Amino acid sequence: MTGRIRKREQDPDITRRSRILLYVALAAFAFLLGRLYWLQVVESDRYRNLAENNRLRLRTVRAPRGLILDRKGRPIAETQGSYDLACTPVDVKDLEAEIGLLAEIVEFDVDNDEVLDKIRSAQRSNPYSSLTVARDLRFEQISVIEFNRENLPGFSVMVEAKRSYPYGTAFAHALGYVGEASPEEMERSEDGSLAMGDLIGKYGIERLMDNVLRGVNGGRKVEVDAAGRDQRLVEEVPYHAGGAVHTSLDADLQVTAQDALGNRAGAVIALAPRTGEVLAFYSGPAFDPNVFARGIRKADWQALNTDPRKPMQNKGLQGTYAPGSTIKPFLAMTALEEKMQETGKTVQCPGTYRLGNRVFRCWRPKGHGAVDMYRALVQSCDVYFYTLGLKLGPDRVAKLEKGAGLGTITGIDLPGERKGLVPDPEWKRTVSKEKWYDYESVILGIGQGALHLTPLEMAVGYAALATGGEVMRPRVVSKVVGKDGKVRTFPPEMLRKLPWNPENVEFIRKALAGVVNDYGTGGGAKLPGIVVGGKTGTAQVASVKGKMIKSEDLPYEIRDHAWFVAFAPVDDPQIVVAAMVEHGGHGGSAAAPIVKAVLQEFFRTRVAGPPGKGGA
Amino acid sequence: MNLPSKWARMDWPLLLIALALSAIGLLNVYSGTRVHGVPGTALVTRQLIWILLGVGAFFAVYFLSDGFIEEVTNGFFIAVLLLLVVVLLAGRVRGGAQRWIAIGAFNFQPSEFAKIAVTLALARYFSTKYRYGGIGLKELLPAIGLALVPFLLVALQPDLGSAGVFIFILAGMAVVACVRWKVLAFFAAAGASAIPVLWFFMKEYQRQRVLTFMNPELDPLGAGYHVIQSKIAVGSGGIIGKGYLQGTQGSLRFLPEQHTDFAFAVFSEEWGFLGSLLLLVLFLLLVYRLFFLTVRSQDRFASFACGGIEVFFLTHIVINLAMVCGLFPVVGIPLPFVSYGGSSMLTGMMALGAVANLSRSRFTFQGAGGKSSEIAS
Repeated sequence: MTGRIRKREQDPDITRRSRILLYVALAAFAFLLGRLYWLQVVESDRYRNLAENNRLRLRTVRAPRGLILDRKGRPIAETQGSYDLACTPVDVKDLEAEIGLLAEIVEFDVDNDEVLDKIRSAQRSNPYSSLTVARDLRFEQISVIEFNRENLPGFSVMVEAKRSYPYGTAFAHALGYVGEASPEEMERSEDGSLAMGDLIGKYGIERLMDNVLRGVNGGRKVEVDAAGRDQRLVEEVPYHAGGAVHTSLDADLQVTAQDALGNRAGAVIALAPRTGEVLAFYSGPAFDPNVFARGIRKADWQALNTDPRKPMQNKGLQGTYAPGSTIKPFLAMTALEEKMQETGKTVQCPGTYRLGNRVFRCWRPKGHGAVDMYRALVQSCDVYFYTLGLKLGPDRVAKLEKGAGLGTITGIDLPGERKGLVPDPEWKRTVSKEKWYDYESVILGIGQGALHLTPLEMAVGYAALATGGEVMRPRVVSKVVGKDGKVRTFPPEMLRKLPWNPENVEFIRKALAGVVNDYGTGGGAKLPGIVVGGKTGTAQVASVKGKMIKSEDLPYEIRDHAWFVAFAPVDDPQIVVAAMVEHGGHGGSAAAPIVKAVLQEFFRTRVAGPPGKGGA
Repeated sequence: MNLPSKWARMDWPLLLIALALSAIGLLNVYSGTRVHGVPGTALVTRQLIWILLGVGAFFAVYFLSDGFIEEVTNGFFIAVLLLLVVVLLAGRVRGGAQRWIAIGAFNFQPSEFAKIAVTLALARYFSTKYRYGGIGLKELLPAIGLALVPFLLVALQPDLGSAGVFIFILAGMAVVACVRWKVLAFFAAAGASAIPVLWFFMKEYQRQRVLTFMNPELDPLGAGYHVIQSKIAVGSGGIIGKGYLQGTQGSLRFLPEQHTDFAFAVFSEEWGFLGSLLLLVLFLLLVYRLFFLTVRSQDRFASFACGGIEVFFLTHIVINLAMVCGLFPVVGIPLPFVSYGGSSMLTGMMALGAVANLSRSRFTFQGAGGKSSEIAS
């Protein structure tokens, strides 16, 4: 036994060498301790945050967007439940594979690449909150997704509030549409209340009234495991639904306006002349705002934007057109107010009007013979108004027209309004440094030349004619009920009252009634039992030299714009309707029936006050 | 030597430190295997059984008669090599590697026992070659051969982490056994230049691990995931920790292998810097005790064996902790006594049992007035 023992104290080297190991151990432990100090003391807050982020997910519970109602309380924009596909970026394991799988199940409402990009950027910027990837899933899609749960970590089906527009395209340009808030919009939102994937109004009333309609999101703080599965509800904050917007729009009237315009391009606007309330506001062709609420596809968006008839343009307040003969009552009014021409004075119409070496045609080649102001309006005699235009000069005409709201911003409560142009020598000097020529005054008489107006301006102007000079600010929103229940109403707002002589007003009204009822150009808007007053307009888009060519025989793009603007009943105007059909041809044939349809619908449910008695 | 005197010469500090670490490990397994707040009692019971078996193994080895260990060293070494071959041929594949042999309900990893076998074999070899002034290159080469065979067998499983431990043991023992510095320097240089060759032999996932170790954010959901989540667990523990059973990284399964290789992450999340410090102190005591016994052993074989086992523990502790702290690539190396696992527990206890057994000899030459009478036995 002892023989085995080799005396160790003879080997001092071994002790020395062993000590080296001990030093190595001490150094390693010191180093580890330093590392632990760094992680657990110095950087501890950072890791604590990371651990919380690991563990806690904020699941936004989106507040439903508030209702938009028509004047009878019918919802024209509402919120419905929709099964949406949501993604929590941090829980996604293999993004491309999962998106590939999903692409087979869900036809994405947005392009695949777009979804990939969106999730990728969220993985960097905001990986812990969920974002909506596809909306409005069908039942079969949901079941396939649920079946594939294991292969789709990070994706889940959630019930989300979806914007829906029961009247489809009818209210497109009035209501606008909603879309997901862009990163810039989220940044801009004052209180940071916008979450990823929140819908905000992008256009129309949806945009204008966004702060009323948008609710306050609630949320659930949930503890999840490493696979992203919910374990426990930590905290819950309830949401507050958005407020309601009451409009003055009438759904029946709106649908009638849409149907009457059909698939032609143009605008139909109906106003209550004494209050400025907008009863119908249709611009065609329109888009379906429901498509936007689901997340519009790139291709659809492109199609909308490249359509030559510009469905995304609100023709009612952004399109400007030469008014044609619809301007004539304003010239007549100017003449009467300025006492430049009496109603009874006649002008000879041989079918042409000569100024210097220029010849201007009347729409009726053989002429109207001797016409007074009444006849000239009823028959829309061009020669009469050439004479009047020259006689009045541009300044007088412009003053009255601008006063009535033409060529000015009307101040409607819809975004994006543009103003038309009522030209005068001052304007000409500024834009072209040229003087005003007489021929310009002549063609101004029949609503051609530089003059161009929006259909909305025309409706406001005719409301002034109908009411005897009351220029009201057009209003779509009549009342809002906020999230907090607070009610705010928008009373009628008179922009100005024009000091027109009632006799003159009376004459113009009568003449406009004659246009419809006294074998005039507006016979197409004649209604039984109700006296309608109005004026046709056919606005040249291109001047065709030489022979008169019928509008219908011209290529679409250079056909005339057709106008008809009317109010009724003449003795007690309750409604003004302006219809403009782009390249529609003659106002009497193309636009007047539209106005008639709207008036018919309006008076179907409303008893018109008997003449002279007033009401509404 | 009779039984009572063996009791009397028992190195209690060694066992007490091991038991303290095992107790901490048991508590930690209870916390680490709990998922979503439900504790995993099954594994705790098993770990308790492993601890009891380990203590049994400790004493079984401790009570072996003097000299027996040295006698059976070669046989043990060959037996373990055979087991490693069996693992390669018929082992259980788990996580892409053949590391386990199943015996009934228990799986064990021969590579763990191989570490001890190699240590003892090297101790025996060096004890015969030791000479004043240091061992030269010629004598070192057979020692390299002794470590290289199990290294290759384990590396083939593939388990580069465990295989690497053989290299560390060899290097550590070469230092203790007084291999000349020149020779050591030569091998250090050779080893460094062999790294590119090693890279060539690595599997793709192993390269990935090393690469993501350099920059874990490169692949946060893939190979870098372990490191990131582990650092989060450790770092979020703060100074005093989140409290026992209050850790979230483990129970919500963000930590992979949270009860085995990443047990320390669970522990330091719940016990914080102070807990980590306590654990480090315990480990340091263990290492120091092994150093103490290395120096005090009266017999070269015993001395080298203690030194080798000291290197064995040191390697495990430092690599595991460095890995959990994000200082070392993720390799499958358990934390002695703390990680869940039978092979690791038995190996650790047996190794300490061997140390206790071999270091009994230190009493032999304790000098006058001591227990020197034992020399006669």
